[in-house]
Amino acid sequence: MDRRTVLKGLAGAGGLALTGLSAPAIAQGASARTLRFVPQANLANFDPIWGTQYVVRNAAALVWDTLYGIDSSLQPQRQMVESEETSDDGKTWTFKLRPGLKFHDGEPVLSKDVVASLSRWAARDPMGLMILANQQELTVVDDRTFKWVLKQPFPKMLYALAKNNAPCSFVMPERIAKTDPFKQITEYVGSGPMKFAKGEWVPGAKAVFEKFADYVPRQEKASWLAGGKQILVDRVEWIVMPDPATAAAALQNGEVDWWENPIADLVPVLKKNKNISVDIGDPLGNIGSFRMNHLFAPFNDVRARRAVLMAMSQEDYMRAIVGDDNALWKALPGFFTPDTPLYSELGGEILKGKRDLDAAKKLLAESGYSGQPVTCLVAQDQPITKAQGDVTADLLKRLGMNVDFVATDWGTVGSRRAAKTPPGQGGWNMFHSWHAGADCITPAAYTAIRANGEKAWFGWPNSPNTEKEITTWFDAKNIEEEKAAIGRVNKAALEDVVYAPTGFFLTYTAWRKNVSGITKGPLPFFWGVSKSA
Amino acid sequence: MLSYILRRIVATLPVMAIVALFVFSLLYIAPGDPAVVIAGDQASPEDVERIRQSLGLDRPFLVQFGGWVWRILHGDLGTSIFTNLPVSAMIGQRLGPTLSLMIVTLLLTIVVAVPLGVVAAWKAGSLIDRVIMGFAVFGFSLPVFVVGYMLAYIFALELEWLPVQGYTPLTQGFWPWLENLILPAIALGCVYIALVARITRAAMLEVLQQDYIRTARAKGLGQGGILFIHALKNAAVPIVTVIGIGIALLIGGAVVTESVFAIPGLGRLTIDAILRRDYPVIQGIVLLFSFVYVLVNLMIDVIYTLVDPRIRY
Repeated sequence: MDRRTVLKGLAGAGGLALTGLSAPAIAQGASARTLRFVPQANLANFDPIWGTQYVVRNAAALVWDTLYGIDSSLQPQRQMVESEETSDDGKTWTFKLRPGLKFHDGEPVLSKDVVASLSRWAARDPMGLMILANQQELTVVDDRTFKWVLKQPFPKMLYALAKNNAPCSFVMPERIAKTDPFKQITEYVGSGPMKFAKGEWVPGAKAVFEKFADYVPRQEKASWLAGGKQILVDRVEWIVMPDPATAAAALQNGEVDWWENPIADLVPVLKKNKNISVDIGDPLGNIGSFRMNHLFAPFNDVRARRAVLMAMSQEDYMRAIVGDDNALWKALPGFFTPDTPLYSELGGEILKGKRDLDAAKKLLAESGYSGQPVTCLVAQDQPITKAQGDVTADLLKRLGMNVDFVATDWGTVGSRRAAKTPPGQGGWNMFHSWHAGADCITPAAYTAIRANGEKAWFGWPNSPNTEKEITTWFDAKNIEEEKAAIGRVNKAALEDVVYAPTGFFLTYTAWRKNVSGITKGPLPFFWGVSKSA
Repeated sequence: MLSYILRRIVATLPVMAIVALFVFSLLYIAPGDPAVVIAGDQASPEDVERIRQSLGLDRPFLVQFGGWVWRILHGDLGTSIFTNLPVSAMIGQRLGPTLSLMIVTLLLTIVVAVPLGVVAAWKAGSLIDRVIMGFAVFGFSLPVFVVGYMLAYIFALELEWLPVQGYTPLTQGFWPWLENLILPAIALGCVYIALVARITRAAMLEVLQQDYIRTARAKGLGQGGILFIHALKNAAVPIVTVIGIGIALLIGGAVVTESVFAIPGLGRLTIDAILRRDYPVIQGIVLLFSFVYVLVNLMIDVIYTLVDPRIRY
C-alpha cells in the first residue's frame, strides 16, 4: 500500500465522520471508458458557425456531421450523403441523404434540416459566400433529397462541403439552423457520433461528450473527417489547462490521457517518460506570418516590403518558435502547405539562399524610407506571435528601421489590426500571426493570400495578378490546371509581397501508452481511439 | 450592533455602484474588442462589425452602461458574450472551487501561522524565533506559482501522493474534495502564513511586555494559559485585521493558483474574461468581489467587538 492510499483511507474515514459523505464507488473499468483530453484552448462557446475558432471546430466535429468529409489524401468523400448528381451544364447539384440518419434528440435528419444548415453556413464561410453569390436556389426535393441550383458551374462544390476549415458545413436541426448566423445557437443537437453533455459544461474548464448510441457509421475505414466514425469509448472529457507545465504533469501522472499540443520546451520531458508517446500531431502543420500594412509608408511601397523579405531569415523565426528540434520546421519559399499536391516554390528565390542585408538596405533606401517609426504590434500572450515579434524587431533594427514595438495582448492586437488609420493615429505597420497548414493547401479557405485591396485581410494588399490567378484556380477543371494556377499565385504573391511567410512549423501531440488509435491530422480525431485500463 | 450592520450593508451599495461604473468605464476605454476574438483570426472586418452590432457593442457608452445597471437592478447580471450563458450561472459554477480553496487556505493559515507567531514571540531572539522568521521571509518572498510548481513536482509527480490538478465537489466525498485542494492551499497560503505569523509575533511581543502578563506570571499561571488565553486574546485585533485584509490577497493569489493547478474557479474565469473582453462576466465578478470585500471588512469590525469589549459602535 502506498502513502497516497493510506492518506486517502485516513482522510476518507475522517471525512465520513465529519460530513457523512462518502466518495462514490467507481465502477471497475469506468476509467478505461472515459478518455480525458487536454485541448489546445478553452471551448468558450459552442456554435461552429458563429465563430471560427479551431477549438470549436474540433469539438463540433464530434457532435455534428457533415455532408462530405475530407480524407487524409485531401479528397472530399461522402459522409451523410448517399449520392450526388450534377447536371450536364454543371449548374445543378442534386444530393440524396443516407437513410437512417438521426439527430441526438431522436428526430430523423431531413432535407429541410440540411437546407437550413447550409444556408446558415454559407452566410459565414468564404466559400459559402462564393456559392451564395452564384446561387439560383437551394431547395428541398423530398425528405432525403435536396437541390442546389447555381447560375454558373462551381467545380469546387464538394470540396466546399467537405473542407475542414472553420466554419465547416455542419448539419443541425432546422429549428436551430434558422438562428441568425451572427447570433449564437443555444441548443447543441447534432447527428454526429457523440452527444454534448451541456449540463456538465464548465466553459473555461471542462466539456464532456458522450457516445451517441444511434449513430450509424459508414462502412469505409475512417480517414480524417471521412469514413466510418467508430467511437470506442463511452465518454470523452475535455479538460482545459491554461498552464502547459500543469498539463505535462497531469499527463505524466496519468490524470489525463491525451494532450493535444504540448509546447516544444516540455516535449523532451514527456519523451523521457516510458508511459507516454509523443509524435507530430498535424502533418499539415502551420505557416508563420507577419503582415505589413500596404496602405501606409513605408510598406505601401513594394520595394520596402521586398527589402524585408530579402533580409529576413526564416530559420531565425522558426528557431524562436520551435527551439532546436530540426524535425519541427522547414524553410518555406512560398505560401502554400509543403508536401501537399499543389505546393509550389515558383518565384520563391527572394526567400532562398544567403540573406543579403546590404542589398535590402539599399532597396529600402530606394523606397524612400527616411527613418519614420514602424509600428510593430506583438501579442505577448501568444507565444508564437511573441517569438516572431522579437525576431522581426531585431530584423528591422538591423535594416536601419525605427521600430515602435507595441507589446500588448491578443485582444488588443486583434482589434487594432482592423484600424485603417495611419500608424501614428491608432493604426499599425506590422503584426504577426500564423495559419494552419490545413487552411493553406489551396486558396479556397486561405483568407491571408487574398490580395483584393480593401476587401482583403488585414494589411489590405492589392495585387491584381495574385487575384487573377486565384480566380484561375477556382475555375480549374483538373489537377494540372490547378497546379499551374497555384504556381502563378505563389509567384505573384511573392512579387507583390502579399505578406511575409516566416516558415513552416509542426507541433507535437502526446498521449499515454494505454491509449491507441490516435491518427495524425489537422484536428484531433476521436473515432478509432480506445483506451485500456 | 444590528442597526450598525444594516447601515454598513446599505452603505455597500453606493460603493459597489462606484466600483461598477469605474470598471465599466475602464473596460469601455481599454483597447481590445470581443467581436474580434469571437470572429476568429480569419474573419473579415465586415464579419467583425456585424458581430459587434449583434452584441450591442456599437452602442454609445451611456446606453450600454444604462442597460447594464437596469438589468442589475432587476437581478440580472447579464449574459456572457462568449458562452451565451447567464453570468450568474457561470459565477455559480465557479464559486464552489474558489470558496473551497479560500476556506482551506484560511484554515491552514490560522492553524499554522498563529501558533508559529506565538511561539516566535515567546522565544523571541532564540534560534527557534530566527528559524520561524526565516521561514516567514522565505514564504513571503516566493511567488505562488514557484511554490505551486515545486509542490506539484515533489508531491504529485515524484511521490505520487496527491493529484496535480482539478477540483472535485464536496458532494463527491470529503477526501476527493480535500485531495485536490491540499497543494493549491499550501501554495496560496505560503505568503499568507508568513504575513500572519509575522504580525502575530509582533502583536504578541507587545502584549507580552504588559504589566498584567507579568502579574499573571507572578501569580504562577502556566505558560500555555498566559500565551493562548491572556496574551493572544489581547493581541487579536491586529491579527484579525491582517487575516481580513489577507482575504483580498487570497482573491488575487487564487487567480494564479487556479491556473497552476487547473482549478475551475473564479480566478481563472476572471482571467479568461479579461483576455477575451467578456464585459458582462468581468462586471459580474468585480461586483461580487467588491461585495465580498465589503462584507469581510464588516465581519472584521464585528469580530473586533468580540475580542475587545472596549470597541463599541
